[in-house]
Amino acid sequence: MKLEDRLALLNYKIDRTYAHITVKPDICETCPDHFCTFSCPAKCYTLIDGKLNFKYEDCVECGTCIVACAHGSVSWTNSKGAHGVKYKYG
Amino acid sequence: MSEFDAIVVGGGPAGSSAAMRLASAGHNVLLVEKADPPGSKNVSGGVLWGNDLEAVIPDWQKTAPVERYVKAKGVGFLTKESNIGLEFRSGLFDKNRAGHMVLRAKLDQWLVKKAKDMGAMVATGVTVDRVAFDKGKAIGVEQDGDIITSDCVILAEGANPRVAIDSGLREPLNDKDVAIGVKEVIKLSEKTVNERFNLRDKEGFAGEYVLGFLPDQVEAGGFLYTNKDTISAGVVISMKHLRENDRTYSFDIIEQFLEHPAIAPLVDGGSVEEYSAHMVQEGGIERVPKLYGNGYMIAGDAAGFSFSNGLVLQGMNYAIASGIAAADTFIEAKKGSGVSEESLAGYRKRLLDSYVLKDLYNFRGIDEVTWGRLPHRAMPNALEHIMKGLFIEQGVPKKHLYQLMTEALGESGIRTSEAVLEGYRMLRRM
Repeated sequence: MKLEDRLALLNYKIDRTYAHITVKPDICETCPDHFCTFSCPAKCYTLIDGKLNFKYEDCVECGTCIVACAHGSVSWTNSKGAHGVKYKYG
Repeated sequence: MSEFDAIVVGGGPAGSSAAMRLASAGHNVLLVEKADPPGSKNVSGGVLWGNDLEAVIPDWQKTAPVERYVKAKGVGFLTKESNIGLEFRSGLFDKNRAGHMVLRAKLDQWLVKKAKDMGAMVATGVTVDRVAFDKGKAIGVEQDGDIITSDCVILAEGANPRVAIDSGLREPLNDKDVAIGVKEVIKLSEKTVNERFNLRDKEGFAGEYVLGFLPDQVEAGGFLYTNKDTISAGVVISMKHLRENDRTYSFDIIEQFLEHPAIAPLVDGGSVEEYSAHMVQEGGIERVPKLYGNGYMIAGDAAGFSFSNGLVLQGMNYAIASGIAAADTFIEAKKGSGVSEESLAGYRKRLLDSYVLKDLYNFRGIDEVTWGRLPHRAMPNALEHIMKGLFIEQGVPKKHLYQLMTEALGESGIRTSEAVLEGYRMLRRM
């Protein structure tokens, strides 16, 4: 099953006004490994034409990326106002 | 005068247990949870081991939303084509229900409701930013610039402890602290689950697997737990080894596990109901932060309390036990000299007297033997070689087991001297 289909099963209450994760594009541009693209289980980090593209909307709030990024690009805060992923099973 | 006696941050097993204990003792406690409904951001593999909940909910085994109880425990080494496994299926589990399969969105919501019923005030959908300090003492929690005050704060925020880290109470996590957990809940019928896993009624199967077939340096374990009419299946991936590999995607590894010839028939025809991910605390005693200070204590995953030896993976029981220990420490402090760093030191003492810190100290360095080439590559390969020699009839003269084992070491992919040393360390530490 493709990851996109697996993610489509999830319920989210997307916060349009606040991104709980932000990245610093200047750090990502010179990043030698882009380990975030391999480690993030929700594929929030992808390379498009060699450039890092980040979207927080699919985030399942596991926190992997802040550990994975060894270059200090990722800032992680908890989602606010009960926004974000809502598991039925967990 | 504080608004609350205690504020508990996080409505998982640790936080709810602490809140229940405090509320039942007549304390004015606020339980803050960022998800709404509570439990809807929580994930775990799915077996709650032990009976720690009994201290706060005596009849929990009858009333809690548990899926099944562990009737059979399996451990398997997977190579590309084989599963070499061991299963402990026993009537002993009927008398002593050692583990229960749970789904956290249901369980945690129930636990929070229990805390509320016992008198805790519950605030859901509320995100705490950090612990508020005044003159070195925790005086409550800060949320969107407001401070809610309390005599004591219990941080039980789980495996990604942002509040503790942002308040300077815990170091940021690194590769040694955590593994990546990825899981799917797969729907089958209750009848199908029973038939495939040889179960009746409330009996359940909990299996852990070493994924010896993964490419290159990637190391991961798999798990398969039966719920009532679903299966929780997932992988726990070593952050360190995935980083060294740097070309394998975490979300592909769970699919490789589910497509393995020994696993695929068990989930065949099921519909994936949910995909989830969560970090697994793996740091052991060396990475446990300072557990208490003036006006605060840290419990559960947030404190790095978990146990994994490759055969079993536990966390919720440590969470509950530590949540209760934190509550009891507060109750005692209030009866005595009041909340201070000195009085809260009792928390660490309680944990040292219980299995929580005893296990962590006794199994110091376990991560070095559970992750490594011996269990993840050499053992699966060697075991397959022995089984092949014993059971696959090839019309040639048979070999003695000793000869097969010697050959197996050669097949294992690591040097004999290394295997012997690593094997010794493994047995000692496990």
